[in-house]
Amino acid sequence: MRTRIPILKLRDTLIVSIQWELDDQMALSFQEDLLNKLHSTAARGVVIDLTSIDFIDSFIAKVLGDVISMSGLMGAKVVITGIQPAVAITLIELGIRLEDVSTALDLENGLEKLERELED
Amino acid sequence: MNVTLASYIRENLNPILESWKQFMEEEEEGKFFQIMSDDMIDSTAHELGELMIFSLTENNQEFARKVEEFSVKMARHGWSISFVMKALTNFTEAIYHHMGQTGFLNDNNSGNYIRLINNWLTPLNHSIVEAYSKTWERTVQLQKMALQELSASLIPVFDKISVMPLVGTIDTERAKLIMENLLQGVVKHRSEVVLLDITGVPVVDTMVAHHIIQAADAVRLVGAKCMLVGIRPEIAQTIVALGINLNDFTTTSTLQRGMEQALAITNRQIVEVEEQ
Repeated sequence: MRTRIPILKLRDTLIVSIQWELDDQMALSFQEDLLNKLHSTAARGVVIDLTSIDFIDSFIAKVLGDVISMSGLMGAKVVITGIQPAVAITLIELGIRLEDVSTALDLENGLEKLERELED
Repeated sequence: MNVTLASYIRENLNPILESWKQFMEEEEEGKFFQIMSDDMIDSTAHELGELMIFSLTENNQEFARKVEEFSVKMARHGWSISFVMKALTNFTEAIYHHMGQTGFLNDNNSGNYIRLINNWLTPLNHSIVEAYSKTWERTVQLQKMALQELSASLIPVFDKISVMPLVGTIDTERAKLIMENLLQGVVKHRSEVVLLDITGVPVVDTMVAHHIIQAADAVRLVGAKCMLVGIRPEIAQTIVALGINLNDFTTTSTLQRGMEQALAITNRQIVEVEEQ
């Protein structure tokens, strides 16, 4: 049994902090868990924090992109926070631009940004 | 035989040097002696002579070390390599000349002696070329480092706003460095807006634009916004003529206007205060 990624709820926002490198299976179960949680709590925003992740491969990046579009379909906005410089460089070099994703420096900024976006 | 040659050279060093000087003078039309002082010529020439004797009497390892020392010294003096090589050739020439004159070299033994002298000359030639190329490599390396130090520092100007002025041509290597510094600086200073100032970049071609777009994308991923400022008229023209699409991020003509917009993004503005 693999450990699952904890998804916390704070008012109408879900907070996910990914603390270790995801493998493919974990990424997929994370996708499922998050969407279920979104459905059960009717949260309007999600913050995914990647501060402790040093490496993202193309599959994980794709899953992240998918999660964001899926959450969008379910009416929730997603902000990704704390992408490390090295990770950003890798993503750009892989040609993954995560174009429609909002990003923020850290969790604090991310929550502020989410709040602002939900107000609009 | 080695010993005979060594003692011959030791005894006749001065006349050999005299004829060497004459050779050099003929060849360079006196230019040679303007470059170097007399003392310098004498000491260097003696050293050369001793090096030759050394090659005949000592073992190879010791000789190789000596040769290297000598070559490095030559390179340090800053003489041109062609000049040093010419001096070396002429020195050998002078030895043959002198040997021929005194009858030391005759038909029977000339082959052996020529081989002996070649044994001395070839490693010296190689070593000098190597010493010079090492010096050049080092110079190039130092200049490269200096250039890298000059380039790409992120300056935090206001809270949440940083500026990175880019000066000089951007190649792939520099672009990588710029991107790393940019992202690390953004995270370190917790900037929300970064202004990339390309006033000092002489040419913006598709490659440079590609690097800039990549950097801006990466900045967006770490959670900040990248603005391109300092776009001169000719750069605007090239960008459009090349069909480069920079629509995804804000661009302005000057750093000043970029800064105003950056302040606006972070909900601030510059106001004048009344005189008191």
